Amino acid sequence: MTKFIRLSVLSAFCLALLVTSFSVTQRVSAQSGKKICFAYQDLETQFWVAGHQAIVDTLKAKGIEVIERNGNQDANKQLEQVKDCITQGVDGIIIIPQDSASAVTIAAAANEANIPIAVFNRPPSSDSKAKHLVVVADNQVIAKTAVDFMVQRAVRQGELGGQVTPLIMVGDLGDTNAVGRLNGFKQSMAEADKKYPGLFKKAIEVPTKWDANTGLANLQAAMKANPDVDFIFTSSDFLFPQIQAVLEPLGKWVTSGKKGHVILGGLDGDAGACKLMKDGYLDTTGVQDLYFEANSAMDALLQAIANKETQPNKIIPDPGFALTQENIGTREMDMWGCKLLAAGFLDKKK
Amino acid sequence: MAAQNETVKTNNPAANPVAAVGRLLRRLLLSEYFVLILSIVYFIALLPFVNRLGSIRNLSVIFSNVWPLLTVAIGQTFILIIGGIDLSQTAIMAMSSVLGAAFMSSAADPLLFDKSPLWGIILSEKGGLLAGSPLAVPVGIGVMLLVGVAIGALNGFAVARFRMPPFMVTLVTLSFFSAFAILLTRSENIRNLPPEFLILGKTSLRADLSSFLSWSLGIGVGLAVVAQIILSRTKFGRWLYAIGTNQRAALISGVPTQRIIILAYMFSGFCAAVGSILYSSRLEGGRPTLAQNLLLDVVGATVIGGTSLFGGKGKVLWTLFGVLFFVLLSNTLNLLNVSTFTIDIVKGSVILAAALLDVLRIRLLARS
Repeated sequence: MTKFIRLSVLSAFCLALLVTSFSVTQRVSAQSGKKICFAYQDLETQFWVAGHQAIVDTLKAKGIEVIERNGNQDANKQLEQVKDCITQGVDGIIIIPQDSASAVTIAAAANEANIPIAVFNRPPSSDSKAKHLVVVADNQVIAKTAVDFMVQRAVRQGELGGQVTPLIMVGDLGDTNAVGRLNGFKQSMAEADKKYPGLFKKAIEVPTKWDANTGLANLQAAMKANPDVDFIFTSSDFLFPQIQAVLEPLGKWVTSGKKGHVILGGLDGDAGACKLMKDGYLDTTGVQDLYFEANSAMDALLQAIANKETQPNKIIPDPGFALTQENIGTREMDMWGCKLLAAGFLDKKK
Repeated sequence: MAAQNETVKTNNPAANPVAAVGRLLRRLLLSEYFVLILSIVYFIALLPFVNRLGSIRNLSVIFSNVWPLLTVAIGQTFILIIGGIDLSQTAIMAMSSVLGAAFMSSAADPLLFDKSPLWGIILSEKGGLLAGSPLAVPVGIGVMLLVGVAIGALNGFAVARFRMPPFMVTLVTLSFFSAFAILLTRSENIRNLPPEFLILGKTSLRADLSSFLSWSLGIGVGLAVVAQIILSRTKFGRWLYAIGTNQRAALISGVPTQRIIILAYMFSGFCAAVGSILYSSRLEGGRPTLAQNLLLDVVGATVIGGTSLFGGKGKVLWTLFGVLFFVLLSNTLNLLNVSTFTIDIVKGSVILAAALLDVLRIRLLARS
């Protein structure tokens, strides 16, 4: 027992040493300049990873201390983390919220503390009374542009005879981005139905909840029930590996122009999508201008801090575009994923 | 003679400082204020190093995080005292959150909910069944508490009547009701809750003393006081300890063990539902994923407080100290800018240390 007590005393000393070393680190890292809290919900997709890196690197390059908080997909944890940031006296907050609902609560907390807040890419619910800077892509327009191109391809394929069976992998509908993308898809399909009556069957909706495993399981089930699916639009590019995993064993993972090709479209513009586009599997993807969004969020926030605006309220739209098999030759490097691909991003991942 | 001198030396604390320190540590470990002392020492030790740790705003944030967690941990304390464990508390919170919000909400988007089994029954474009009614909040809260008590009763019945292991029973209900909550709303959050409900979980970020006062404080402290009275002043409380110490002996002594176990799980469900009210209110919505990652915090805080995993020992006051320490730990690690992953590692290590401490305390008590 004496040994145990000695061990306890030793452990207490170790804990004290550990805490002190944390404190020293804190003192060293603290700078006299500005402090920005960057609270993100997770870094599951390439879009978030690249966005995170762009924001952190740019802010650090400007001599700004960045306090990073990962909410691990827990809205309450993210709220508590942001409140902790507020007590640290940060000058501004950038969040990638867990969902549009929690974005409202977090923005309201920042408003109460008179700290400017920028919401990156995932806007608060439309009924939000909180004031915030929001940088967001026009998801509906971008999705519609991409699906319009897929429709053109399908019409060409339809000239050979037969109906087209479309399928959409729907994101988390608690996220307004996912809603916009679904609406863009529906709008394009409705127009296509009017223009080419009888060509398209009713679209199959596969929920993914922005989760790769959920998406995979639901797509497998949908393909079993509807083996004639030949038109797939995914609301996010990060789901392409799951689509490939389902289509390949069915003999449907075929490049564009070959028999059995499933017309494929997505949205985001990540490096994986760029590679699939170059390899000919992917027909089109809607592109959010990640670097424009990251820079706009930071610039607007820093401007508000400089102007001593505590509750800036502004929406900064990202018009985006669709990269297609027809314009890839000219617009490839406008897509952030192609820039990452050219920089060897996928090789580094391996 | 030499042996006699040796005995005198070891019995005299001044003569043997190691033994004196050992005795002090032993007294400290066995003290019911051990975790409170630890929290205070930890707080004071970090004050010079962590900027704004002692600021009114930060203290207010710490306490605003204490009250909701405390309500859930009180229920877990009751279950640990009877030698059980309730892993289903987070699922109870999710179910309560969703069903209560479905009654209270003032509007729902058909795009999000038209495939929900609740659509057209208790949820529509105009909101929940009681949207706009003055009864919306009391009935909504009543539904939330009822859900908690009902799932708790189910747990208790399975454990007491069929003698199933609590770990397995509550693991199954955790899995079942977590999935069921997601199914009910198709994983969507139910928003547009009445302001009278939202005020319950709201805490102010103003840097003055009034920011400490909130409905969460009242509800948390109120529940703690009632729970402490139940444990220390009622026959029911004494029976809980008796069951946790030795269920068979309690049964022979005339304790209605089955009834008490069922009631304990019902109380745990009730406490989880109270927690759900506070968390749903602060996040402004009925969430099917509410508290998904909270179980470690609940069990961890209760065990850190000193409630024994082996049953028969625990107090609401200890749980309050445990929750306070746990929240303080999270807060300081955040203020020290430690990465989230490291925070989880530290939390896990502290819980492990608390469990080891529990074993050590039992050994020390057995010796004395």
